[in-house]
Amino acid sequence: MPNSKRTRATGGANVRLAADIGGTFTDIAVFDDKTGRLNFGKALSTPQRLVDGISTGVAKAESDYRSANLFLHGSTVAINTILERKGARTALITTDGFRDVYEIGRINRPDAYNLYFQKHVPLIERALRFEIKERVRANGEVLIPLDEAGLIALGDRIAALGMEAVAIMFINCYANPGHEARAKALLQERHPHLFVTASHELSQEYREFERCSTAAANAYIGPKVRRYVGEIDEHIRKDGFSGSFLIVQSTGGLYESEQAQTQCVRMLESGPAAGVIGTQALCRTLGIKNAIAFDMGGTTAKAGVIYKGEPLTTGAALIGGYDKALPVQIAMMDIFEVGTGGGSIARAEDGALRVGPQSAGAEPGPACYGLGGTEPTVTDANLVLGRLGADRFLGGEMTLDVEAAKRALTSVGAPLGMNATQAADGILRIASTAMSYAVKGVTTERGLDAGDFVLVAYGGAGPLHAVAVAREIGIRNVIVPGAPGVFSAFGMLFSDLRYDYVRTHLMSLADAPFGDIESIFQELEKQGRDAIASTSVRPHQVTVKRALDMRYVGQEHPVTVELPLSVFRKQDREAIKQHFDDDHLQRYGTSAPDERAEIVSLRVTVAGLMKKPPQEKIGKGKAAPPKSAFAGKRKVFFDGRFRDAPTYRRAELLAGNRIAGPALIEEHASTTVLTPGDKLTVDAWGNLVIAVAGAK
Amino acid sequence: MAKKAVKKAVKKARKVDPVTVEIVRNGVIAVTEEMKTNLMRTAYNMIIYEALDFTTGLFTAEGETVSIGIGLPTFIRGMAETVKAKINHFGLKNMKPGDIYVTNDSYTTGSHLNHFTFTLPIFHKGKLVGFSCCMAHWLDVGGVLGGMTTDIYSEGIQIPILKYQDRGKVNQDLLDIIRINVRLPPRAMGDLRAQVTAVKTGERRFLELLDRYGQQAVMDSIAEIMDRAEAAARARTRTIPDGVYEAESFLDDDGIEIGKRISVKVKVIVKGDEMTIDFTDMAKQVRGFFNSAMTTGYGCAQVAYKCITSPTDYPINDGAFRSLKVIIPPGRIISATRPAPMRWWMTFPMTVIDTVFKALLPAVPDRVIAGHHADLVAPSFHGFNPATSEFFIGTFGPLGGGWGAKKTEDGVSATVCLNDGDTHNGPNEQAEAKYPILVERYELIPDSGGAGRYRGGLGIARTTRALTNVTVNTQSERSACPPWGLDGGGEATGNTVAFRVNSEWKSDFPNAKVLVAQLKPGDAFRISSGGGGGYGGAFERPAEDVAEDVRQGYVSVEAAREKYGVAVNPETFAVDREATDKLRSMR
Repeated sequence: MPNSKRTRATGGANVRLAADIGGTFTDIAVFDDKTGRLNFGKALSTPQRLVDGISTGVAKAESDYRSANLFLHGSTVAINTILERKGARTALITTDGFRDVYEIGRINRPDAYNLYFQKHVPLIERALRFEIKERVRANGEVLIPLDEAGLIALGDRIAALGMEAVAIMFINCYANPGHEARAKALLQERHPHLFVTASHELSQEYREFERCSTAAANAYIGPKVRRYVGEIDEHIRKDGFSGSFLIVQSTGGLYESEQAQTQCVRMLESGPAAGVIGTQALCRTLGIKNAIAFDMGGTTAKAGVIYKGEPLTTGAALIGGYDKALPVQIAMMDIFEVGTGGGSIARAEDGALRVGPQSAGAEPGPACYGLGGTEPTVTDANLVLGRLGADRFLGGEMTLDVEAAKRALTSVGAPLGMNATQAADGILRIASTAMSYAVKGVTTERGLDAGDFVLVAYGGAGPLHAVAVAREIGIRNVIVPGAPGVFSAFGMLFSDLRYDYVRTHLMSLADAPFGDIESIFQELEKQGRDAIASTSVRPHQVTVKRALDMRYVGQEHPVTVELPLSVFRKQDREAIKQHFDDDHLQRYGTSAPDERAEIVSLRVTVAGLMKKPPQEKIGKGKAAPPKSAFAGKRKVFFDGRFRDAPTYRRAELLAGNRIAGPALIEEHASTTVLTPGDKLTVDAWGNLVIAVAGAK
Repeated sequence: MAKKAVKKAVKKARKVDPVTVEIVRNGVIAVTEEMKTNLMRTAYNMIIYEALDFTTGLFTAEGETVSIGIGLPTFIRGMAETVKAKINHFGLKNMKPGDIYVTNDSYTTGSHLNHFTFTLPIFHKGKLVGFSCCMAHWLDVGGVLGGMTTDIYSEGIQIPILKYQDRGKVNQDLLDIIRINVRLPPRAMGDLRAQVTAVKTGERRFLELLDRYGQQAVMDSIAEIMDRAEAAARARTRTIPDGVYEAESFLDDDGIEIGKRISVKVKVIVKGDEMTIDFTDMAKQVRGFFNSAMTTGYGCAQVAYKCITSPTDYPINDGAFRSLKVIIPPGRIISATRPAPMRWWMTFPMTVIDTVFKALLPAVPDRVIAGHHADLVAPSFHGFNPATSEFFIGTFGPLGGGWGAKKTEDGVSATVCLNDGDTHNGPNEQAEAKYPILVERYELIPDSGGAGRYRGGLGIARTTRALTNVTVNTQSERSACPPWGLDGGGEATGNTVAFRVNSEWKSDFPNAKVLVAQLKPGDAFRISSGGGGGYGGAFERPAEDVAEDVRQGYVSVEAAREKYGVAVNPETFAVDREATDKLRSMR
């Protein structure tokens, strides 16, 4: 079977299918190499058997598995398994004396005055955390050899307890993974059915709690993700698929579905990451260097960054709310999230109007859904202000109840002396500022000037609020791509194979041995090249990027500094120092060129570049939109009063069309709002390019 | 009375809409949070970047707190008093754009000399509209290294209120004086730069807010936010039954007169929508370095009041404390006067605050908490690192320990003490990579939580081996006076220390303050944090919950039997009903 997968699909199969499964919808994007056509499909997710939703979506996009040579997939299955605590029965094996690392965590108490504060709850209970004799020092030297007989006995005991998965985390294994690797081999030899994860396979960075949490999360979700991926694989192959099945990682890069079945935590945030990759693809087409990927859905707004043409990534993230978060220490897209979405609930509290973070979710949903929700949400505000059309929601598939929305808004406005309209207007203003903090979180807080960026807005609710958010931050241009409601699926079509590695190796820059650095880099790079070679696709080019995590001697938080390969070839310490000083200055506004620097970790990204589908141009028109695009006028509330605003059907717009705000551009799962003074141009590819009024 | 009328009139004249107020509220929180992120990420020493021993804040032109980004909850009052002291010192009219003021004066900040505080006056359209301010803990400020101090002069350099920057010009003389007085000048200068960046960030972001929404609207919104915080605090105070509530607890000693207990007596008077916290009967300031000054006395009262009345309201602002009165004469352990030593200022206040909760038990049994480990449990160690041939001062940051149980919930284990909030410990792997030490064990301590209907949280023990000659100092309290239970709940174990010298463990110390202990390679020290007290009678805890605690190893089979009256099978963890009924009927 693995061999047959290696052969590239033949018989004229040259279609890429991308499937993004979210909580509510399954989005499909299909690109046909031969015809150059891009199609989309949207279907309700089918939690009982997720593959059914995919098949429905593929059919809606007028495609089938047989004609596809690539199946690209992103899913919330991994993250939901953690958030809903529905993972495998998992045990932890750790160094003698350290079984409570996972429970103790970082001891912080962010909810500092709340005597009823809570702490993270490990995915593995204490009774299932076992210790074994072994010890490695920080320099990699073995202090106590691994007790192999004890480990074998422990493995048998764990198996007898009915465990499905085991995580292994030994202290200082980042400096010498020998004991972890040996322990894993011993376990798998005797218990091949167990899902075993050793922490060094995912992270070779120091910080034992974070590494432990990463390994535990991987083991905990492992059996379920493995089954899930296996089932999809089986199903699509039964339906005639004979190509490569690749999965999107949290970095936005792809890996083989087989690799996803062992390194499961790497796919935690695949959907949001794919949206940023879509933004990058859009930027390439349009020649834009710096952009913010702004994704607003039902419960959250997320922002990622394209800087100098590349998405910004981070080395770790927290899963779940900050107070009780479980860390994962792996490369991920750097995405900042705020709890403001279409379903965010507004309340009157202490004489103020508050929005979110509570969300009405999909059920009961906003009051206007008529599903029993009575609290006013951001969506209700949009409806009452005319920004959403009651009879045009989801292309008219669902009718919204304006009166219910008004009632909800009246009830929240009354104690504040506001009527429904004023309350709705206030909710949108507050929501915009709240979302602007997500954007600032990924720009100004990283030393980037948001004003230099273009805001690319997608997600069901992104285009509704994009202009207001942009104005809040001083962003001059907003772009709403085609099909913003299925943008993550679209983005997947542009992903490359990608493998990230990191190794902590503390050394002072002044006397860092370049020989050691080179051999570590080459070892990591070889792993990446081998991983790419073991996939079923043949990328047209393999690229390698090197970075160092560096800091001034005495600091703790390092900065990840991307470095050209030449500095290593030339063994140029000064150039490395210069890069670090510059990055530090840019990110934090200070640098200390006279201070010594040290290297904390070495990072490598190996990418296998895939052929990108070309972006299709749309038909050309004049400055005035065609008559067929005009869909009547509607009263829409802007700047303190209702005004007549024209509405347009996006599908009918032509390249070169210009529209001045106020106006609404409607499409299947999304509406773009132009406020008075905003100027929109439809570009050659059908993107809505908006010059924001009043932005500096 | 007349004053009140004037205030009412002003309130009426103010016209702000609830939407702008909410936007400004989110805005000022964002300002101090960004200052916090900024400081954390650029600081040089672990006490700032991991332990978050700092506070950033935004203040009105009068020095009232508008919002603080807390690292350190007990420092809730420290910056406002420092800003006010700086206003008094220079006078508002002499403050100019481009100025930055500095001090580490202990009797102003209320804390130790490590707390350098920088303040920047913010001008908008020529008007002084407020201050951004930032306190952060420097790793070393000179003074005696380790051991006990008995006056402030032995604790390091004292910087009175001075200008670090005068209309844009940095005071180089001041920097030179600081540099020569501290042991690690590059780190001190790194932290200083980080703090200056933080106050400038606060200035820039606040100005953006003023530009965007207008000076008047923002200032009015801030006044409104503070009024609403006041109204909310008063409303919640009104729900506490009127009365006079008192409690007393004890601290081990001052580190000099070993074993001489120190009394912590508090009186809380609730009347209508006001609360008075009276510390008059508190012990007098002590000879050892555990004192704090008046600012911290006020801080103790504010922390307790906020926990009881507005625990999850943000931003933290002075409006919420208008309904709180604090009575505290000078010269007490939390209102010490010069030249009282203050190096471990943060320890006693935690027990003071816990004692306020104890006093309020009869009034609001569902809002208080049993005693917690109430100490940083943060030994420090120093020596020369053979790998780098450099002097080092090492710490893991706070150890964390058990928290008390509440009326309806078990206590939380392994969490940082009341003095600290979003404070992180230092990873063991990081310490091993940095210092010549090896951590032998790091684990929860079974049975350390007080027994009760709701059980107290567990403490942590860390055993650290020296790999070179290392000098260790531990300064922990609440060893002999462990965390108490409430409403019949049992007490927890206290904070303790043990040393292994020449392979022999010694743990029979009279307290947990072991100063200047010398370790050779192979020797070790073990520091253990206390648990949290229990709440309610232990015999009322459901037997199944006790058995589950035994299964997880939080409670031993023996303790289950002796403290909870529950017989648990050590193999199957099943409850032996008959034996349990018998045990429980005996008391």
